[in-house]
Amino acid sequence: MNASSLIATKERSALLQNQRGLAWLLAYAGILSAFALLLISNRELSLLDNAQVVYMMAGTVTAAGALIAVIMGSDAYAGERERGTLVPLLTAPISTGDLLMGKAIGLASAWGIMYLLSLPYLWAVGAGGQNLGQAIFYLGLFGTPVVLGFGYLAMALSARSGSVMSSLLTSLIILLFSASPLLIGPGLRNSAIGKALDAVNPFSGALNTYDAVIIDSDPFLSQLGRLVLVLLWLGIMFGVARLSARRPAFR
Amino acid sequence: MLIDANHLALTLDGNTILKDVSLHMDKGQIYGLLGPNGAGKSTTIALLLGLYRADKGHLMRFSEAETDLVSIRRRIGVMPEFAGFYEWMSAREYLIWYAGFYGGLQTPPDALLARVGLAQAGAKPISQFSRGMKQRLALARALVHGPELLILDEPTNGLDPRGRREIHDLLIELAQQEKVGILLCTHLLDDVERLCTRIGIIDKGQTVLEDDLDRLLHDAGRPRYRLHMTDVPTVQSLPPSVNLIDWDGSWYTVEIEPSQDAGIAQTWESLLSLGWSFDEIHREKDTLEARYLTLTGGERATSQEKAA
Repeated sequence: MNASSLIATKERSALLQNQRGLAWLLAYAGILSAFALLLISNRELSLLDNAQVVYMMAGTVTAAGALIAVIMGSDAYAGERERGTLVPLLTAPISTGDLLMGKAIGLASAWGIMYLLSLPYLWAVGAGGQNLGQAIFYLGLFGTPVVLGFGYLAMALSARSGSVMSSLLTSLIILLFSASPLLIGPGLRNSAIGKALDAVNPFSGALNTYDAVIIDSDPFLSQLGRLVLVLLWLGIMFGVARLSARRPAFR
Repeated sequence: MLIDANHLALTLDGNTILKDVSLHMDKGQIYGLLGPNGAGKSTTIALLLGLYRADKGHLMRFSEAETDLVSIRRRIGVMPEFAGFYEWMSAREYLIWYAGFYGGLQTPPDALLARVGLAQAGAKPISQFSRGMKQRLALARALVHGPELLILDEPTNGLDPRGRREIHDLLIELAQQEKVGILLCTHLLDDVERLCTRIGIIDKGQTVLEDDLDRLLHDAGRPRYRLHMTDVPTVQSLPPSVNLIDWDGSWYTVEIEPSQDAGIAQTWESLLSLGWSFDEIHREKDTLEARYLTLTGGERATSQEKAA
């Protein structure tokens, strides 16, 4: 087994065997459960169109996934440093590139588990409609780069700052800012600033695609521009993480 | 030679951390790296491990041809001061996992655990380990691949006297029988005197002394004497061959210049002529602690404190 695989194996076991990792997964499932329950049991929300409900659930899965990815990314280097496990990794015969790759694969595996966990919730709220398959497909295609991009951003900050708290707070602020289109409502989103933000914001890119394909049943080709945006986001954030992880803060 | 480091200098974020550090050690040697807190010991270790790159100086590990950091680290075992582990794993699982970076364990995990005194703890989750057990496990981790060079930062922290003795014996065995070079970074001068064959002292980012311990202690040229005074002496204008080191009540410690050692009677006479009055003289063995304090300015601080 090569060094990256060893790191990735450890990251997976940290998520599935360690109390902290299991608590994160439980928190993720809790967010989805609460939201799904609200969509089904609340009188006003339960009257929503099925496609609208699935769209909202897909958006929530992406937001909750990005939140957990940010927590995991912040812990990737700084958490290891604070627990005294980073130095043994840095002094082992592995390159910093392999270490980052192992952490990146570990994060991708965690998102894979979260994605699988979200399927029963999507099914629970959208089984009666025709857009469930599209929601699952586009969540994978657009949600994955958005979630992983935020995780890699947090990883970059974690490697550079060496502090879980500061990397987590900084990443959360950026995540909240990116998710602001969800909060500011359609009126502001149609303003010049709202449109400009939508055009460069990967989070908006994913949400607008969910809207277009799940609610409006737009074809895949019309979403290529947004696909480029989210892939670009993923690529840039991974590059930033690579630069930052070359000389991680270890003291 | 395992390490040949000459005049290393390092500046981090505009702060000069190391000014001039040199370190030379061979196979089978136990090298004590000493210095006050913040002197630059940990940074020196980080440089040796390639975690930093020196701005100046020359650093060779193993041989001039060995420049690839990954292959250098394959030959080094490291025990950092703060021993952290993935606590959900058992000791055995952890060692097997960590050995994967080196291509697998060289000895069975249980044999390695037994060697560091954890024979019964292999299946136990690390979260249930005491601090001393974690120190032992950290040493097992450093030995997982049979390294040629061991770098140990405060290896006996948290160990009881028996545990400390066991680790000492293991280190001596590694150095003498397996010819492992051991770089020991510690504040415990007792450990150094018991284990080390060579020492280096770093103060304020520079090496102030590097020598074989035997030569340092036995060939030290400045004998010390403790004088029991019957009256308070005048400490101003002492003879040039006499250096007042310390005083504690009526006991005064002086250092005599080596050239005067043979004719020591003359020195006592000159002190008596200055009004010094003493009824007992004890020669002190030159200790590592005394040398360390002199070189790192500790005695100056003590004397000033007492004078105040």
